[in-house]
Amino acid sequence: MSVHKITLIAALGATLAFGTLYASAQEKYGFGRSVDADEVARYDGDIHTDGTGLPAGSGNVALGAEIFEIQCALCHGENLEGVRAMGAGSMHEGRRDIELLPYATSLFDFIRRAMPLTDPGTLSNDEAYGLVAFLLNETGVVDDANLTLDAASLAAIKMPNRPNFIIDPASRFTAEDLKDN
Amino acid sequence: MQAGVASSAALLSSTALAQETTLIPSRGPGDTIDGSVTYASRSPFVKDGKMRGSANGLSGGGITPLQNSQGMVTPSGLHFEVHHSGVPEIDPSEHKLLIHGLVGDDKIFTMEDLMRFPSVSHFHFLECAGNGMGEWMGPRGQTVQQTHGLTSCSQWTGVSLKVLLNELGVRGDAKWLLAEGDDGARMTRSIPMWKAMDDAYLAYAQNGEFLRPEQGFPLRLIVPGFEGNMNVKWIRRLEVGDKPWWTHHEVTEYADPRPDDKIRAYSFVMEARSVITSPSAGMKLNGPGFYEISGLGWSGAGTVSKVEVSTDGGNTWQNANLQAPVLPKCHTRFTMPWNWDGKETTIMSRTTDDTGYTQPTYDQMYKLQGPIGMMHNNAIQNWHIAQDGEITNVRS
Repeated sequence: MSVHKITLIAALGATLAFGTLYASAQEKYGFGRSVDADEVARYDGDIHTDGTGLPAGSGNVALGAEIFEIQCALCHGENLEGVRAMGAGSMHEGRRDIELLPYATSLFDFIRRAMPLTDPGTLSNDEAYGLVAFLLNETGVVDDANLTLDAASLAAIKMPNRPNFIIDPASRFTAEDLKDN
Repeated sequence: MQAGVASSAALLSSTALAQETTLIPSRGPGDTIDGSVTYASRSPFVKDGKMRGSANGLSGGGITPLQNSQGMVTPSGLHFEVHHSGVPEIDPSEHKLLIHGLVGDDKIFTMEDLMRFPSVSHFHFLECAGNGMGEWMGPRGQTVQQTHGLTSCSQWTGVSLKVLLNELGVRGDAKWLLAEGDDGARMTRSIPMWKAMDDAYLAYAQNGEFLRPEQGFPLRLIVPGFEGNMNVKWIRRLEVGDKPWWTHHEVTEYADPRPDDKIRAYSFVMEARSVITSPSAGMKLNGPGFYEISGLGWSGAGTVSKVEVSTDGGNTWQNANLQAPVLPKCHTRFTMPWNWDGKETTIMSRTTDDTGYTQPTYDQMYKLQGPIGMMHNNAIQNWHIAQDGEITNVRS
């Protein structure tokens, strides 16, 4: 028997004699610092699929087109065709086709958090709303050149491809996992 | 006594012989022991390296040279990497992790706090869901590094998510976690709560030392067996929620479009896969005779139970030897002795895991995933050996 096993058995013995060695839900280590809602808000920028987290502000297709030209076209192409040399694929076809997206919130969340590539997180909320409006109109998902988006209208968009997202047995997920969506 | 005389005679005779032979001269003293060198480097004769690159300098990465890999562990400096906003430099004394949402108490932890918790340590592979996407429409990679180099294996040490979540107290309606990185792009992925409470952990160490920056220093998520992208690096925040977030990377990149235009969501598990790393494409056999076939098998769903090798184009299969240790959700090194008769042939491997799943052929894969469903490609890899010993990447 190895020394480790002997130590483990001794530890288990000590546990039985003196109570639990590791913390349970009742017994805490007490590490870390509790934070209030204001501090959490400074970290929490994500958007939920029901629109929770969408900020104040609004933007229309025209604003989006203007920002796209300045901030995005270099990599994504004037017509969203993608510039391979810059590592960006088409937003009209293939895996990055905007029409494949199940929720418009994913688009807003990603643009505001991760774009533009060289200066992520610098777009204003209005600009991010405008870019989503521009992209949805440009790809024909919402056929409205005057589309203006804000928190309520963006959350209300039903992406046509949403029903095509399914869980099949190949994913090793069960109906129990599916019912949460 | 007689024996003593005999050995003396032998000694005399060998002494005489040695005087007539010039010994290979000593190479003399080596490099002086330089006290300023505190971290050893490889021999200058060892040239294996990652192939690293990015179209725009910020999104891209590097692939592991599997062709000369030995055993099951990938050296930390050769571990594959994929980035979305470059590699951040983070001072661990300033790094913080916030855990909040459907928990009893929202808390911020410093690295010092996290390292005070009981530690866990496991050997696990990480594989990018896009490992082999370039092969989907036909054989393209010139070497096994190019076809399969987005998988690597390390010993990771850190703190169990279950311990952290129990510390805060998880509410009954909590079903998903959002993990967010502290890179410029704040990479985010949704992790199912059952997985978080099963075997996921936050790693601060890799192969006995602190993480490398490109592996998420000072803290990364390890979700054993799930696609690489979910193992969020430089992790700064975990939000506990009741639904998945369906972030960019879980819907446009890593979901699997099927041939019927449906899209398979939640395709997180990296299913069983194997590849012969030697001999492999780009190498040349030096005439007929003995060769050891060597490769790696792994499964994100469990433990490799067998690897079969065919040296006759898939007509017959033999069980390969599995080198210990054989661990769950971990690279497993397999070997098989082989005498090459010098004739043209195709060699390949397929693995089966302890859930009973067997690595598929391309024909089987194409029934599951359509033309743009090139992620999670775990199909059998064929290497063609020509009569002159040249090895190339082929489909059949």
